Amino acid sequence: MALLEVRELDKVFRRGARAVQAIDRFSLSVEEGEFVAIVGPSGCGKSTFLHILGGFEPHDGGTMLLNGAPVRGPGPDRGMLFQEFALYPWRSVIGNVAWGLEVQGKPKAERIAAAERYLKLVGLSAFRDAYPAELSGGMKQRVALARVLAFEPRILLMDEPFGALDAQTRELMQEELNAIWQETRNTVLFVTHDIDEAIYLADRVVVFTARPGRIKDEIRIGLERPRRADVRKSAEYMAYRNRVWDSLRAEVLKAREEFK
Amino acid sequence: MSAAAQRRAAPLSRARRTALGLVLPLAALIAWELSARIGEVPSYLVAPSAIFATTWEMLASGELWQHTRVSLLRALGGYAIGGACGIAMGLLAGIARPVERFYDPVVSLTYPVPKIVVLPILIAWLGAGDASKIAVITAAVFYPTFINSLYGAKGVNRLYVWSARNMGAGPLRVFAKVILPAALPQVLAGLRIGLALAFIVMVACEMQNSRSGLGHLIITAEDSLRFDLMYAAIVAIAIIGFAGDRLLLWLRRRALAGQAIGKEGAHG
Ligand SMILES: Nc1ncnc2c1ncn2[C@@H]1O[C@H](COP(=O)(O)OP(=O)(O)OP(=O)(O)O)[C@@H](O)[C@H]1O
Ligand SMILES: [Mg+2]
Repeated sequence: MALLEVRELDKVFRRGARAVQAIDRFSLSVEEGEFVAIVGPSGCGKSTFLHILGGFEPHDGGTMLLNGAPVRGPGPDRGMLFQEFALYPWRSVIGNVAWGLEVQGKPKAERIAAAERYLKLVGLSAFRDAYPAELSGGMKQRVALARVLAFEPRILLMDEPFGALDAQTRELMQEELNAIWQETRNTVLFVTHDIDEAIYLADRVVVFTARPGRIKDEIRIGLERPRRADVRKSAEYMAYRNRVWDSLRAEVLKAREEFK
Repeated sequence: MSAAAQRRAAPLSRARRTALGLVLPLAALIAWELSARIGEVPSYLVAPSAIFATTWEMLASGELWQHTRVSLLRALGGYAIGGACGIAMGLLAGIARPVERFYDPVVSLTYPVPKIVVLPILIAWLGAGDASKIAVITAAVFYPTFINSLYGAKGVNRLYVWSARNMGAGPLRVFAKVILPAALPQVLAGLRIGLALAFIVMVACEMQNSRSGLGHLIITAEDSLRFDLMYAAIVAIAIIGFAGDRLLLWLRRRALAGQAIGKEGAHG
């Protein structure tokens, strides 16, 4: 049985008479150690899906089994990287990164050492004593990444983790994540708008339809692992890219039609 | 940017900022002193120099300190109890809907009532000593701290709570390490309003029924037309109020180190 089994998931947001169907009969199964990238037009329910999976938001219909048991609430087995970072403004950078370990009851020296290691990984050692309000958007995002990696969850739920980064940093972080995954073999659900990023990192790319979110397409990425950065230049890679882009394009157009 | 605009945007030095704040009070004092010496002013406008002399005299005799001490005891006693209850109940109501529903009608109904009106009732119940006055001050301080703490806790970004629960934090830890610090700016705003109210209500209580304290001093001075004495008491109230407020602002700056950054409004 798969690690994660989502069947016919429904989610409706209601306020008064207004109801927005965010997710419509969505099914997905994810194997232990699999890296799944999720792409889809803006507003199609990707963040909502991760929030439900994280146990933060209830769902309206369907089932969601993790290790064969229904998801009841949040837990440290699923590390969530929020699209909006959710860093604590009253804690310094190092305090934010060490927070997950603090909750786990690790001794102070150990959690500071671990936090410093992950800060170094995201290239922000020099800012360990700064407050989040003193960081740029991309720097905040990297702190949030360090924070979620630091408490070493088995499953990573990442909501556009590199969305606020410049192109060069983004590529470096992708390679970094790729290396981390190669080593830890964590299960990852990775939401992104960047097709290249999705193909480079993932074993499988899931394409969401325009809202209400359903599965439009699933594309298995057979690129050899470990992947080097120059895999992006191969013909095989370009073929996947075209494949995903064709699938996504129709949905993005549909979503834009709806906003008009 | 032009040189002039740059100069305007440059922050004032510390000394200049302090000087700027002193301009208005000093000008008013000088104008007052001059008009008291030169012109014909009514007897209740005692010259600042005379007020200063009386204040000095009363400080030396220990009388002013006597009254200040009893007043402070009452104000701070009520402030501590009212503030602690307000914060605890406000935060609790902010995180638990039923608690909010429970308190809401009573709070809305009693908030606009001037707390001083219950003094006679409390005197009948607790006697004319300190307890009844402290009780009225407690009530006055409770409301602003309760309401601010309530909205502080209600306004906490849900992602802060989610991310804590994600890491496995239980309700107690979420409360102490997330709700409390996130709501702290608002809690402190409530405490600041509460402090001013504590002094106002303290004086009101002492003017109405007391044999000691700064409010008592004011009312007896007025009755005996000793306006210099009255001003000395007012100056004492102003000074302790000011000191308390500055202390709170200092605490606030220390406690909100990370949260105040980039949020200083139009003053930059
Ligand atoms: N708390 C909420 N209350 C009401 N509607 C919501 C709420 N959260 C999300 N929605 C709606 O659900 C839909 C999906 O939102 P979601 O944030 O999951 O989109 P997304 O796929 O993550 O988009 P993006 O790529 O822009 O981040 C949107 O139409 C949005 O308006
Ligand atoms: Mg989103």
